Amino acid sequence: MNRILLIARREFLAYARTVGFWLSLLAFPLFAVLGGAVPLLVRGAETERAVVLIEEGAEATGLAAAVRNALDADIERRATRAREAAEQAAASTGAPPGSAESALASISRPRMRVVSAPTDLAASLPGPAQDALLRRYLTDETPKAERLDAVVFLSRTEGVPGARVWAARATDDTVEDFVRSALRDANREAALREAGIDAAVVERADAFRPEIGVFSPRSAGGGEVSFKDRLPGIIGLAFSFILWSLIITGASILLNSVMEEKSNKILEVLLSSASATEILTGKVLGVAMLTLSVLVVWGGIGSFGLIAAAPSVAADVGSVLMANGLIFYFAAYIVGGYLMYAVLFAAIGAFCETPRDAQTLMGPIMMVLVVPILVVQMALVNPDAPLVRFLSWVPFFTPFLMSARAPSGPPAVEIAGTMAGMFAVALLMVWLAGRAFRAGALSDVKLSWKSFGAAMGGGGR
Amino acid sequence: MAALTLDGVSKRYGDFQAVQDLSFTVRKGAICGFLGPNGAGKTSSIRMILGLQPTTSGRIEILGASDGRKVRDRIGFLPEERGLYKKMTPVDAIAFFGSLKGLSTSEGKRRARAMLEAQGLGASRNKQMKELSKGMAQKVQLIASVVHRPEFVILDEPFSGLDPVNQQGLETVIRDLAANGATVLFSTHVMQHAERLCDQVVLMARGRKAFDGTVAEARATSRRFIELEGDIAAEAVADLPGVTGVEVVSERGGVRVLKGSLASGVAGQETLKTAFLSGLDVRRFELKEPTLHDAFIDLTGDNPDQDQSVARPATSLEIAR
Repeated sequence: MNRILLIARREFLAYARTVGFWLSLLAFPLFAVLGGAVPLLVRGAETERAVVLIEEGAEATGLAAAVRNALDADIERRATRAREAAEQAAASTGAPPGSAESALASISRPRMRVVSAPTDLAASLPGPAQDALLRRYLTDETPKAERLDAVVFLSRTEGVPGARVWAARATDDTVEDFVRSALRDANREAALREAGIDAAVVERADAFRPEIGVFSPRSAGGGEVSFKDRLPGIIGLAFSFILWSLIITGASILLNSVMEEKSNKILEVLLSSASATEILTGKVLGVAMLTLSVLVVWGGIGSFGLIAAAPSVAADVGSVLMANGLIFYFAAYIVGGYLMYAVLFAAIGAFCETPRDAQTLMGPIMMVLVVPILVVQMALVNPDAPLVRFLSWVPFFTPFLMSARAPSGPPAVEIAGTMAGMFAVALLMVWLAGRAFRAGALSDVKLSWKSFGAAMGGGGR
Repeated sequence: MAALTLDGVSKRYGDFQAVQDLSFTVRKGAICGFLGPNGAGKTSSIRMILGLQPTTSGRIEILGASDGRKVRDRIGFLPEERGLYKKMTPVDAIAFFGSLKGLSTSEGKRRARAMLEAQGLGASRNKQMKELSKGMAQKVQLIASVVHRPEFVILDEPFSGLDPVNQQGLETVIRDLAANGATVLFSTHVMQHAERLCDQVVLMARGRKAFDGTVAEARATSRRFIELEGDIAAEAVADLPGVTGVEVVSERGGVRVLKGSLASGVAGQETLKTAFLSGLDVRRFELKEPTLHDAFIDLTGDNPDQDQSVARPATSLEIAR
């Protein structure tokens, strides 16, 4: 086996054999699943709050009914949403209707229910005695089955509805928010009635949702825009983010690896066994294999999950990737982007023995690297925005911005031009950073912009 | 037959002259000590011999090649500053460096186990490097540099950081390498090792060669001296024939130890005879041969233990090849 492959293999195995690598490999899909599942589980695990409504005085008559009606309407609305979501899920996955409905209904159940007020509480008057009663019913002084989660005193002052909410947990504002919304609706209805306007008419007017069709000559059918038409943009954005994180991760691994060899005085031993070019190439290749492994595992898990959960969406994603050679553009951007940053980080590492040494250069570089992440979101809405187009020509940003733009079909001259620029700069970086790496490998000069520039420029020879 | 030839080799880093007009030859199978204080130009010369850095001028031939990189698989190198991958085991580390020199991984591992066993590190062969003591790690690195059985072994300050027991062990290893046909070039600023080991020494000071020859030849360039102990005045010793200078080494209760330098070519017997005949109170006497350390000081005017390194400017970076 030649030296480049030997060094690449050692580099790959040095990381692939660590627990940290496997944890980080599985962390992304795991967090993706958890990120979606945890809010649902939290909501599913929430108990219905037992709430007592008490009208204070004759002026408040009707306010409890208004809150109850709002609660009934909310329950109906949630049930409808759950049913519609279940139907959509069934349509996209091909599962029989009803299989997801029960699961969705369980997480869409109402968050509160109105219960009758205990007799002593209903009969109590505002004051210390009532406060003591409230404290008893809202805390574990009362058996769990009879305990309350909130007591709402509804009142009307000068015709304006209001409420005092006693909640078992000071931080739980669910009942407060719901009552505020219900009273606002009640007040609105009363105000409309006073003005001689039928509230039902206003409600119908509010409920109106116009049917709007979106058409674009760039849609797949040349007319109406569907989810499938938006999918390329979403894929481009997602790929851009994944590419950014993989390149930064890979380049950082390389930086740390070279730094370790420098600080442990291994670089000089390696240099007596292989040329600086072989060492740099082997290391870049080894970390590339590592990064590729991560991409394959993440892509594999993502594809498997998508095919299992939504085969029709998976098919659409597949067709988008294959259309117009998009997947090959992505592959080119991975290669170009990785090369540019990997060799640069490796060269910096050759001058450093600790991460602190690297900060002089890494701080500004990382700040520049944030730019494409900020701009790439603009590319999703308007891939042809002047700023996005301009920055696409900056070779260090090309892989990220053009990944996001490529699915929207930018002009061929821009694709070819930016890609040529990216590879030209990548090759220049390989040459320049290669010089800096060779200079840093045997140097005990402290890293600075001056010393790094001198190394790239020929080491002052 | 020469294994290594340097002919008028010089090296500059920017304005700094690290090595100037260095010429010497090492014959095949010899142990050559490359001696001088820190900063004398030893490491720069070694890097040029290995082909890691180009010469500014001059010619180097090693194992018949004009560039060390062409024969790197036949060379073993232990750098001055040592280290191995902390998370690798000694066996894996040795096999990896062996594989870079052309050994198969399986053969590298087989040799690594045998050599670790021979060095008393058999029990540690599967531990991570970070678990080994500094002395053990240095032994592992030495094994890694010779596992491919090189024809030429270059050891840069191999004795630094080793305790006396391990230093003695390393001397044995160096003798064994030479006994098996390898040529050994090792740098050091501790002359005693060279005195015991070397067939040839090259003395370096301030980037220049000060001497090239055998240890005996180096010593012969320096003066012998006599050491006398007794109630003797320094002036009386200075008056003895052949004595060119006197130094009081110690003095206690009127009894002095005096060191008299002898003029070049003076054997010393006549000097001692005169001392006895003139009735000096000589209670102990010794005719001392100069050490390599003495020879170094005489030849260069420098102390080999004194650091001669100079900080290089940030822009005088050297590109490795």
